[in-house]
Amino acid sequence: MKRAIPLCLTLLATPAFAHESREMGAHEHGVGELNIAVEGDTVAIELRAPGADIVGFEYVAESAGDRAAIDAAVATLAKPLDLFVLPAAAECSVIQASAELESDGAHEGHNHEEHAEAHDQDEHGHDDHAHDEHAAPEAGHSEFHAEYVLTCGNPGALSEITFAYFDTFENARELEVQIVTASGAQAFEVERDDPTLDLRGMF
Amino acid sequence: MILRLAIGSLGARVLTVAMTVLAIALSVMLFLGVEKVRTGAKASFADTISGTDLIVGARSGSVQLLLYSVFRIGNATNNVTWQSYQDIAARPEVDWIVPISLGDSHRQFRVMGTTVEFFDRYRYRQGRGLEVAEGAVMADLFDTVIGADVAATLGYTTGDPIIVAHGIASFAEHKDQPFRVSGILEKTGTPVDRTVIVSMEAIEAIHVDWRNGAQIPGQSTPVDVIRRMDLTPKAVTAALVGVESPLQTFALQRAINEYPEEPLLAILPGVALQELWAIVGIAETALLGVSAMVVVTALIGMMATIFSSLNERRREMAIFRAMGARPTTIMGLLVLEAVLTAAVGALIGMLLLYLGLFVAQPMIDNAFGLWLPIEAPTLRELWVLLGVVAAGAIVSLVPAVRAYRLSLADGMMVRT
Repeated sequence: MKRAIPLCLTLLATPAFAHESREMGAHEHGVGELNIAVEGDTVAIELRAPGADIVGFEYVAESAGDRAAIDAAVATLAKPLDLFVLPAAAECSVIQASAELESDGAHEGHNHEEHAEAHDQDEHGHDDHAHDEHAAPEAGHSEFHAEYVLTCGNPGALSEITFAYFDTFENARELEVQIVTASGAQAFEVERDDPTLDLRGMF
Repeated sequence: MILRLAIGSLGARVLTVAMTVLAIALSVMLFLGVEKVRTGAKASFADTISGTDLIVGARSGSVQLLLYSVFRIGNATNNVTWQSYQDIAARPEVDWIVPISLGDSHRQFRVMGTTVEFFDRYRYRQGRGLEVAEGAVMADLFDTVIGADVAATLGYTTGDPIIVAHGIASFAEHKDQPFRVSGILEKTGTPVDRTVIVSMEAIEAIHVDWRNGAQIPGQSTPVDVIRRMDLTPKAVTAALVGVESPLQTFALQRAINEYPEEPLLAILPGVALQELWAIVGIAETALLGVSAMVVVTALIGMMATIFSSLNERRREMAIFRAMGARPTTIMGLLVLEAVLTAAVGALIGMLLLYLGLFVAQPMIDNAFGLWLPIEAPTLRELWVLLGVVAAGAIVSLVPAVRAYRLSLADGMMVRT
């Protein structure tokens, strides 16, 4: 079986199979992405953060401790208002929140995700991915991906965001924030040293 | 009492003081003017395109895509196939999509192929739309609409024939298919002013007889045959996209960026403009630094005149002292004089700036497409003024302390 693997790889690399597109997203430890879209009283937020920022490692969870750390992180990420603190006057509440772990190098359809709802992964599937990881040894990056939908009773009071995120996740250094509102798009960099974002002028 | 003394003393040396005031006024005007131009340029720049949620092109960098699709600077690394364009257009998140096709030129101006919808969808300066100043938008295959700068530079009016050249800096012209100017746009201050706009079909039409960048020898398809041909574009250079709801912007952006069939890039124009400004903006910091140095120079000039006036005023100071003025009073008098000079200078500088803005605003808008709003001074500007006055007080302390120490002894012993 072990000998078959290089053969399979050779086959994969031949032009006959080259139709499959290969690509890999950029990945920088310490830097996450936060996209915020606002329309009316609905605020949609999505977070992408390297596994290194959230749990401190990016390999496929091996020990029970690793898995517990990932589960705890997913549970923490499912509570957005504790990570991204909005002014109380805006009266925002969470309608929908989901968080998962996504691994790179497994982009061809079978990315093994760690859903908040269903994080018991079947061991067999896990094995398959381990082979995938061997096929692309540099691809051992993983990313946490969370999506939130909030509704705010008084969106006009959204004057700033305080990023408790940096207190919760000690390895995170920076978040690249993009905000889209009816008046256009803007980008900000929020760093650990100054974890607030002034939203006045965005609405 | 001391204020009256200070004003009287300044009045006695009105010419020197007036010169100092003028120097400070000019430097303050320069500084605030640079500040105005800087914020105005930034705002104008950020307003080059608004109302478009995403710009889609071949995968490259966001700044590059913005440069070629909006500013017509540089070239696309690749085109987007018509099929991918259709795929994106069919997505449910897309409210509207306008294709752009670049690559040809007319004289020094770029030719852009697009659809008539472009004129409705392109917005600048907070939602202002394009207006046709003369004529109408393209109705015929060989109609063009030209920007205000194109018309002004080349002296075109509606109905004039124009010939589109193949490529950007090339002498190969598409002579077989002359175009006609059907409309001229109002001046916008955006790159649209320097663009010749034709329909997507026209871009296909002028390339009917061209292969690999050269005209096929001896082949020249008559115009009426071209008109009957299927001129569906094979590719577009970029596309402007509006989404149904801002909430879907990021989902659509990700879907396009991860589009498996073709490497595409979708950018948020506002964010890309910000990135571009971060590069261009280094010059603004330099400019601001230079004008700050001018203010400093003017203040040092004031210090120098106070110093030289000390010599003339030795006797005056000594008499004040003899009449019972304390050394601190002498010092206060000098500082107060300096503060008055700086304050008057700063105020005059401000007035000059507003006067200049009032006169030059329409000219600057016309010449550079740069709109400098005339508004009440911002808090920041008021701080600058206050800073100038405070700095005036501080630099005057140096001669004042000297006067404080020397006032009595120095003035009484007049050396010949």
